[in-house]
Amino acid sequence: MKIKAIALNTFKEAIRDRILYLLLFFAAVCIIFSRILALLTVGDRVKIIKDVGLTSLSLFGALMAILMGVGLVYKEIDKKTLYTLLVKPIHRYQFLLGKYFGLVLTLFIMLSLMSLIFLAVIFFHTFRVEWQILLAILYIFLELCLITSVALLFSCFSTPILSSLFSLSFYLIGHVSWGLETLIKKLRPGTGKTLAQLLYHFVPDLENFNFKMEIVHKLPIPPKIFLFSTLYGIFYTLFVLTLAVLIFRKRDFI
Amino acid sequence: MADVLRIEDLHKSFKLGFIPKKKKILKGISLSVEQGEIFGYLGPNGAGKTTTIKCILGLIHHEKGKIEIFGHPHLSLQAKEKIGFLPENPYFYDYLTASEFLHFYSQLFLMEKKEKEEKIKDLLELVGLEKAGDLQLRKFSRGMLQRVGLAQSLLNDPSLVLLDEPLGGLDPLGRKELRDIIVRLKEEGKTIFLSSHILQDIEMICDRVAIIVSGEIISQGTLHELISEKILFTEVILSGFEEKELEGLGESFSVKGGKTLLRVLKEENLEKILKLVKSKRGKIHALTPRTETLEDLFVEVVKQR
Amino acid sequence: MALKLETDTISRKKIHGSSIIYVPSGKYLKYATFGCSSLLADLVYLWAIQYYSDESITDRFQHLDHIFSIISELDPRYSDPYDVGALIAAYEAGDLGLSLKILDKGLENIPDQWFFPYTAGHYAQFIKKDPALAQEYYKKAMAIKGAPDVIRRLYADAIFKAMDYERALQTWLEIFETAKEDRIKKIASNHIYQVKAAMDIQNIKQAIEKFKKRFGHLPMDLSQLLKAGFLNTLPKDLDGKDYLYDSQTGEVKMPTIPWKR
Repeated sequence: MKIKAIALNTFKEAIRDRILYLLLFFAAVCIIFSRILALLTVGDRVKIIKDVGLTSLSLFGALMAILMGVGLVYKEIDKKTLYTLLVKPIHRYQFLLGKYFGLVLTLFIMLSLMSLIFLAVIFFHTFRVEWQILLAILYIFLELCLITSVALLFSCFSTPILSSLFSLSFYLIGHVSWGLETLIKKLRPGTGKTLAQLLYHFVPDLENFNFKMEIVHKLPIPPKIFLFSTLYGIFYTLFVLTLAVLIFRKRDFI
Repeated sequence: MADVLRIEDLHKSFKLGFIPKKKKILKGISLSVEQGEIFGYLGPNGAGKTTTIKCILGLIHHEKGKIEIFGHPHLSLQAKEKIGFLPENPYFYDYLTASEFLHFYSQLFLMEKKEKEEKIKDLLELVGLEKAGDLQLRKFSRGMLQRVGLAQSLLNDPSLVLLDEPLGGLDPLGRKELRDIIVRLKEEGKTIFLSSHILQDIEMICDRVAIIVSGEIISQGTLHELISEKILFTEVILSGFEEKELEGLGESFSVKGGKTLLRVLKEENLEKILKLVKSKRGKIHALTPRTETLEDLFVEVVKQR
Repeated sequence: MALKLETDTISRKKIHGSSIIYVPSGKYLKYATFGCSSLLADLVYLWAIQYYSDESITDRFQHLDHIFSIISELDPRYSDPYDVGALIAAYEAGDLGLSLKILDKGLENIPDQWFFPYTAGHYAQFIKKDPALAQEYYKKAMAIKGAPDVIRRLYADAIFKAMDYERALQTWLEIFETAKEDRIKKIASNHIYQVKAAMDIQNIKQAIEKFKKRFGHLPMDLSQLLKAGFLNTLPKDLDGKDYLYDSQTGEVKMPTIPWKR
């Protein structure tokens, strides 16, 4: 399949990017450092390791997704490697999807690496492998897929610096979304309130993918939320990708 | 003969600048390219050559007009299966080797594996890169990139090959090789559409040309039609005479190392010179009748605008 | 190298406890956490441990309530801070009210953690010396699944200390009946002895008072109380022994120490 070809090529290109390894290194440092940090606490030590680990995975994963995603299309346009590719008998959407899946594959590998380090540190601490953590990580991965699609969207029409800023803001607002809800109730009607409402509806509630609290405290998670979160994630991602395809289609490559 | 490429009344403007001002680049281009010919697309820089080519390829969306390739709409997959494109200053994925790169592109054509392997080998040989198959593209020189670009444009054995300024930046040997390849492609039955402003090469290989200036086609036809064959003047290089002796016979061009270059316009003056040389025992080093070249035509036509 | 050592030894004037200004206030904090509130709770907790161990910060207990409430807001189910916070409040800050408040909050957020009301009962009993309050806490603790049996015994003991002898006896009897190990039975029976003795002694003393009022002097021995009609029967301890009476002081004592039975 043509999308597969482009995806693999993107993967090969992405995996050579040094930023990935830099971020991976930092994530590893954080996770291992948490082991030391855990020594300072009075009481449950594993909790600290788990908290730091999950947050690192989420944060560094998001950074990887954003930093690589914003360059995906932009680099091709800027370096003109795109020209000979697009005149081949492929649809523009195939190109875009190929780039998307290539990056998703890269993120999957990177996240797996980080998870291995994370699980290893926990294992050495408790001599147990905690499989529920994988569940939280799975949802972090889903969140990353969504963020990647947003970064890709911005990459279609904006420069890397602006795109990174937008994507990062998107990520942050997404996590504050539930707070927006309360904020809206408290605000007086006016521009502030309408802006907040707009943000609330358009920016996805990324907290839907955040199961850190539950996993760390071993709380039961209602199975319904798994289904809904997954569907929400998939639909939102599809929506963003469609937008990206539409924008990309209209683009003139001077 | 069927038209391989047909453009009718193509218009395109761009919005440029911070406060977008509409600038019209193509102002109604119409041309047609016939099967099996090498078509030259000429024009000064900024005339709209590359824009036209990109419109043909679908990299740019045109505003008005129709483009058909082999009778199909130019954006259809059937059309794209039959074309190959080499851009100006090609640039490809650095870290891939030449073979890997061609492999990747061939995957977009859904070719059989065995077919792919053979094709890639043949192409690399054709462009003279058979030894560089495993070298990473970032180590390629400009000329090598041009060749690999040509190779990728031929992967699908296209019937129409579009080349945007393919001879620019090549050394004379490279240019000759490329010209030879283009002629060979024509012999295989392909149609070539190339844009350039190196007129000598165009003149050597093209069958028909179109000249575009400021977004409009001002001349289109076979070289034969456009350039008259009458002799404009004759260039004579002779020695053994002083300037005043040659006065009135022509315009003295330059004098170097005892040799004079004379541009003789009139036929009868030429006869006089020949007689003179014979009588005075001078020497004629060269006698070259000059017909109108493409360059002459080009300069004249462009100046008119 | 030498320079580095020099600068290390020049002890910089540290404003102890200045790190407190970085701890933000209040209820809007949890909105700013971007999804890692649990981690932030950990970090604040770690910081708090360091902060409270630094004895040179003399006013460090001022914000104790605030800090630990932040931690519980960020991560309500993080149980260690409740324990440690209550500990600091009770033993170092001497603020038992705060200590109990923290433990109450803990129970509210983590209802299946019996340790909180257990500790609260402990503090109420031994620091505040308020057995009635201790009772309540022990009762709450008992109701939680997984609470160890010892809490029941502490509960019973608290009732005894609150001088509600009837209920104390009842509770100890229940414990005795339901005890599965001999060791527990022994403990229960000792306590029953104690409660009975207390009850009996109370009765005897009341009778002595009445005697004194009537006759103006203490009785010579307890049988006099019988004769005088102030007691119906002369109570004996659980083992059937007589209570000891000192006619000089009017004190009534148990013949045996309950634990030495």
